[in-house]
Amino acid sequence: MTESRRLGFILAAALLACAIVAAGPYLLDTYSVNVLTRSLLYAAVALTVDLLWGYLGILTFGQSVFFAIGAYAAGLVFTHLDFSNANAVLALGLGIGAALLTAAIVGWLAFWHGASALYASVITLVLPIVATQLLYSGGTFTGSSSGLSGFTSFDVSMEGWFWIAGFFLVAVTTGAFIFVKSDAGRLLVAVRENEQRCKYLGLDTSRLKIAVYLACAAIGAVAGYLYAGYSMVVAPELAGFVFGTELVIWTALGGRGTLLGPVFGALIVDYESAQLSGDYPFVWQLIIGIVFVLVIVAFPRGLLPMVVALPRRLLARARGPASPAGEMRLVRLDPTLTQGEAPGDGAALAVKDVAKHFGSLSVLSGIDFSARAGELVSLVGPNGAGKTTLMRCIADGSERSAGSIVVNGHDIGRRPPEACVALGVGRKFQMANVFETLTVAQCLQVARVRHARPSFWKRSRTLPLPEAALHVLATTGLDRQLGTPAHLLSHGMKQALELAMVLALEPRVLLLDEPTAGLTKTERMQIGGILTELTRRQGLCILLVEHDLDFVREISSRIIVLHQGRIVLDGSVEEVVNSELVRQVYAGSGHAGIAHSAQPIQTGAPA
Amino acid sequence: MIAQALDILTTAAILYAVATGLLLVFGVMKIINFAHGGLMTLGGYAALVTTQLGLNPWLAIPAAALFGAVAGMAIERFVVRPLYARPLDAILATWGLSIVIGQLITIAFGRGVQFAQAPLDGTLDVFGESYSAYRLALVPIALILGAGLTALLQGTRLGLETRAVIMNEDLARGLGINSGLVRFLTFTLGSALAAIAGTLITPLSSVDPGMGVPWLVNAFMLVLVSGASLVSLLVSCLVLGGAQVLVSTHLSPVLGGLTIAVLAAIILRIRPQGFARD
Repeated sequence: MTESRRLGFILAAALLACAIVAAGPYLLDTYSVNVLTRSLLYAAVALTVDLLWGYLGILTFGQSVFFAIGAYAAGLVFTHLDFSNANAVLALGLGIGAALLTAAIVGWLAFWHGASALYASVITLVLPIVATQLLYSGGTFTGSSSGLSGFTSFDVSMEGWFWIAGFFLVAVTTGAFIFVKSDAGRLLVAVRENEQRCKYLGLDTSRLKIAVYLACAAIGAVAGYLYAGYSMVVAPELAGFVFGTELVIWTALGGRGTLLGPVFGALIVDYESAQLSGDYPFVWQLIIGIVFVLVIVAFPRGLLPMVVALPRRLLARARGPASPAGEMRLVRLDPTLTQGEAPGDGAALAVKDVAKHFGSLSVLSGIDFSARAGELVSLVGPNGAGKTTLMRCIADGSERSAGSIVVNGHDIGRRPPEACVALGVGRKFQMANVFETLTVAQCLQVARVRHARPSFWKRSRTLPLPEAALHVLATTGLDRQLGTPAHLLSHGMKQALELAMVLALEPRVLLLDEPTAGLTKTERMQIGGILTELTRRQGLCILLVEHDLDFVREISSRIIVLHQGRIVLDGSVEEVVNSELVRQVYAGSGHAGIAHSAQPIQTGAPA
Repeated sequence: MIAQALDILTTAAILYAVATGLLLVFGVMKIINFAHGGLMTLGGYAALVTTQLGLNPWLAIPAAALFGAVAGMAIERFVVRPLYARPLDAILATWGLSIVIGQLITIAFGRGVQFAQAPLDGTLDVFGESYSAYRLALVPIALILGAGLTALLQGTRLGLETRAVIMNEDLARGLGINSGLVRFLTFTLGSALAAIAGTLITPLSSVDPGMGVPWLVNAFMLVLVSGASLVSLLVSCLVLGGAQVLVSTHLSPVLGGLTIAVLAAIILRIRPQGFARD
């Protein structure tokens, strides 16, 4: 299916939905039209909950507040300034503006570098409580607990409001659908899956979260504005925690991360609530509560995926096996573009007097070395020597306790990981760290986002990669598995994929933390060959942590020995391998005599 | 001045009683039990039933503990246990349970506001200030709860195992501790404490099906700033509860209602571990 055909299908579905909305008032009774208008607007807010929770992984209890901000903007302006067309525009502008401002404050609080998912949820929980209390304390201005009513509003018929609400919902849903399926939208899932990896791929995840949060706030505010215009009543309950959790309940019931699920969840539950709550108010709430608990415990993906699973399976059988791998094409980037300027004579990496301590425990102290482009420096030392800590300090400016680190002539200062990536640092973690639910090609695409701004509505069919990354893919055979989800890859393949992702960043300084841990001999030799070639041909500076001393000896141009947080030796392979000191460090001084003479350095330490 | 000090002291005591059960569950199971509010409501209605039966109001406390414990056992077994690996989902599922409990109570007792008899009436003279005897009695009750829990955690084998699970569950299991049982007992105890808290607050307010919910958020915030320590919970109840009393009396009761939530959010922003010592 070509890209334009895919978008064509989505637009055709949207047109069909518009036709259904248009026909609605002719098919439904007045009561249903009235109730469903409200449900359609609620569904638009539920959609924002899904974008935040289902796609980005932020469980939010506070989307009700943005709905209320939009509604109160209309209510307040129409009550205190009277209704006019100019005031209607003013109210909309005020509503969106206030929602964006609130979202910016909340986003700054909740999505700072290092905030946990629970903390973000806590902030979204506090938000509706604060908002409701402010509305209560607003006296006659906000109408306190009874809210505002009796203001004049747009002269639109009930059918008209149904159409406005319906078209609004279709437009927002279509837009959101195209976005989440686009290359840019995939970043949301990447952040949910593995925020750390995203940061170390140079993505400013805090900014991404805030941007999505702001967009969701604006959508909520517009929905609330329309709600006030149609119902001509606004009340503090709109901002409340209870409405906020109801939105989450609808989203969970419909199916998080499906967009359509939450929309239908909101429409059906809210409509049925209005129908049934008159006759069986408490029983209906009870049933919703029980079904909600059941869905969360037993069907966390919600009800929509269950409903569509069967026809989809039948369809797939009729169509035969799909081959998504065939759709993505690898492209070699022009080497002159990816290498940037030739590596200078100065140090690619200069570490000066770096120390790291946790309280009184000193893990690193007085670390002082520099490495040129084209060098492959191995860091060796027994477990607990501080090797991984040193890697962390180079890749994240906030890690070290003292000293300075200069990458390509730029001091990294206190920069977060994503800014260090921008300076040319690429870090591969000790445990294979990829996006488990994304395919191989998608993982690599996320790694390229820093260089090529992804489209907000299209999916790219080509994957341009620098030569080094392509080389890793070709050597390991990953280029034949581009459509395979990462969680189905073997451990060795995951390691190779992560290496290819880091190389796709076009780093100048490559930090590799045991890249061959758990790999077979053959795989290890492949990776070793790739690494030496990278330093020779591309002039990369590689810092490698390894326990396998044979491997280190074969590929390194220099070895640094760390012991108890200090550099005890820094020299050529020959110097280090034949050093008595290293023998003592590894074997413990008391056992120096029994160290094997043919292979002087035996770690014995498992990866 | 004295009245205000007593207000702060008794408010902190109430908050402490309300939050201990939630803290225990959060510490051991690393999940937030949003059914805490619903379980408190259950305790409130235990007090109401005791009043309606004409029994001694103090009997409401063991009755509430029993109801809470039984409900907690069922919740742990059927809802919380499958969600150990999904802590955010556990928040949602327990919130759903809170709705279920609230609706069941509504169906059984109606929606209206009712009143339970207080175990202690009248006032006591404290340094020349006459103050509600029941509010004063809550201070020793909260202290007894705290001391009892501390004794349980520090002095018994189960407490030792529980602390081991709090610190490192995988290691504890490797050493042969049945962490599933520890979790089950913890949740049961936490639920019983929630219901007891519900009973304790009923003489101060009315009994209605949604009575637990306003307490939930404050208790939740207090637990988050306290980590898993009963001592730091005491500190945060005194500091944040004190701030609430001061803001309510000197600025406005509405802002007072926000004080704990907003202050806790700010504290956590500045110092993610809150009042806990790392």
